[in-house]
Amino acid sequence: MTLFLEQLVNGVSLGSLYALFGIGFGLVFATLGVLNVAHGAYASWAAILGYFSVEYFGVPFPVAVAIGVLGGGLIAIAVDQIGFQPLRGRKTGMLGALITSIAFLIILDSLAGMATNHQSWAFPSSSFPSGMVDLGLIRVPQMQIIIIASTLICGGGIYLLIQKTQIGAAMRAVGWNPEAAALSGVNPQIVILLTAFLAGATSGLAGVLGGAATSNISYMLGEGLLLKGFAAVVVGGFDDVRGTVIAGIILGICEVFVAQYLSTTYRDGFTYVLLLTFLVARPRGLFGSRDFMRA
Amino acid sequence: MERLLDFWYAYSATLAFGLVNSLFALSMYSVLSAGILSFTTVVFAAIGGFTAAQMMGTFGLPLWLAVLIAGLFGGLASAIIAAIFLKLETHWMALASLALILISRVVVLNTPSLTGGVMGMVVPVRASVLELAVLLAIVSLVFFRLHKSWYGLAIRAVREDAAAASTMGVSARQIQMIAFLISGVVGGLAGAALATTLQYISADTFYLGVAFTMIASTVLGGSFFWFGPIVGAFVFTALPTVTQAVLPEIQDIAKGIVLLVIMIYLPRGLIDPRARGLRNAARQRQNIAQAEFDAAKQLPRSTAGQAHD
Repeated sequence: MTLFLEQLVNGVSLGSLYALFGIGFGLVFATLGVLNVAHGAYASWAAILGYFSVEYFGVPFPVAVAIGVLGGGLIAIAVDQIGFQPLRGRKTGMLGALITSIAFLIILDSLAGMATNHQSWAFPSSSFPSGMVDLGLIRVPQMQIIIIASTLICGGGIYLLIQKTQIGAAMRAVGWNPEAAALSGVNPQIVILLTAFLAGATSGLAGVLGGAATSNISYMLGEGLLLKGFAAVVVGGFDDVRGTVIAGIILGICEVFVAQYLSTTYRDGFTYVLLLTFLVARPRGLFGSRDFMRA
Repeated sequence: MERLLDFWYAYSATLAFGLVNSLFALSMYSVLSAGILSFTTVVFAAIGGFTAAQMMGTFGLPLWLAVLIAGLFGGLASAIIAAIFLKLETHWMALASLALILISRVVVLNTPSLTGGVMGMVVPVRASVLELAVLLAIVSLVFFRLHKSWYGLAIRAVREDAAAASTMGVSARQIQMIAFLISGVVGGLAGAALATTLQYISADTFYLGVAFTMIASTVLGGSFFWFGPIVGAFVFTALPTVTQAVLPEIQDIAKGIVLLVIMIYLPRGLIDPRARGLRNAARQRQNIAQAEFDAAKQLPRSTAGQAHD
């Protein structure tokens, strides 16, 4: 029973990372119509920036997280303005932005490889909350609680932002039809910058927290998150933050339990088969709206 | 002569990979020219690669027969996959094809009796550059003939406007199915070519890296004419080698930057028949204008002459 509960918490925290990462990926896909494969590189870079600021400047962990989040957001804005902005209004469809995002994946990943010397690093254990919390039946690492809490806060915050505020309405409008949105007084440029920043920042948060929790900071960090975050977004439905969070957590739990009770070899396979099943049988995902057809 | 040999030793590997990547890019081009963004080529290549390796390693078949069977298996796989995928909307198909690549890696890792599993497979036969060039030449010839055929016309119509094409009696579904089949056969051949060039294949050989390389090559060279992907593949393969000679640290970064610059400033790729058509049209217009100008210059003189009379 203890093992079951521990694995359940492990699964929820792993899934929270996927969800946190996936929120931004889905947001960019739904609002800007970009399938951004460089999204994982933001997470790698945020983790690297966080690690460097702890290692060389000795800042406390919350500051390192803030630096990572800010860095991820700024990189995302730069990528958007250099790589995606020139293609807007040019009717290249999904292909054009996909190619430029591949270009940025190559550039950012090799720069990250150079910055880390192609090695894997870890936050010194004294620099982040690495203790355990006693919850009666089981003891849970502090980092896992932080990850789950930040996913719930970010997911809820962004959901409220999109559904309840005026800027969120503008984002949905741009996602639906940029020209019509501009005609009705929405400034698409602000929406684009905000979306890119939010996406980069959440990806960065997932990168720093995941890098600290797994003691693994490398230029490869983003790739694993990208594939699983992508799966979470598809299963949950592209245009719904709630769906992404729930699907991410479900995927995390499934992965941990498949690895625990079946075999570790089926762990990734299970997620990807689920991903393909959803794409073929129910492309709008668990919670996506029926008329979501753009991108 | 000595220098030529040195040059050959230094760059024959690049040439071989250029030829192999051209096959990959042509397979990608085949579906892309029907208006479908799909990365399934990697899956066909994995099937072709491991088939060829098994045929040569286990059954001891000769190289060309093994390559042929690899192409056949690739085509077979594409028929099955296309039947499922063509029901999807285009962008879901792109995502589903990525998912399929992820799954095929897991499958390769977990079927050690067929693929060697985590250990991978050693391929006992090595294809020479000449053999690869012959293979690419045959495939190119097919694409050349197809471009001029009714199918070539139909596929361009489907890509530009599937609805308009269907009003002209062109079944988009049927054309896309054929495109997928060609992509599957060429993909299988490409996989076999890669296997016999690398001489070692594993689950990571046929993964996202290949997918990104081939879509980049295809778009870089231009996806509107069969020669474009070949040019793109060679440029994309040779680029790291060239930058390695100049600035070894940034070879990958240079690859990314070139891709970015091409996409922003030359979105239709290096080889673009429309640009050539536009240039020709512009030249014709200029010639006509020149002729009219000449005629206009001649005219007053002749009228003046008449007036003089």
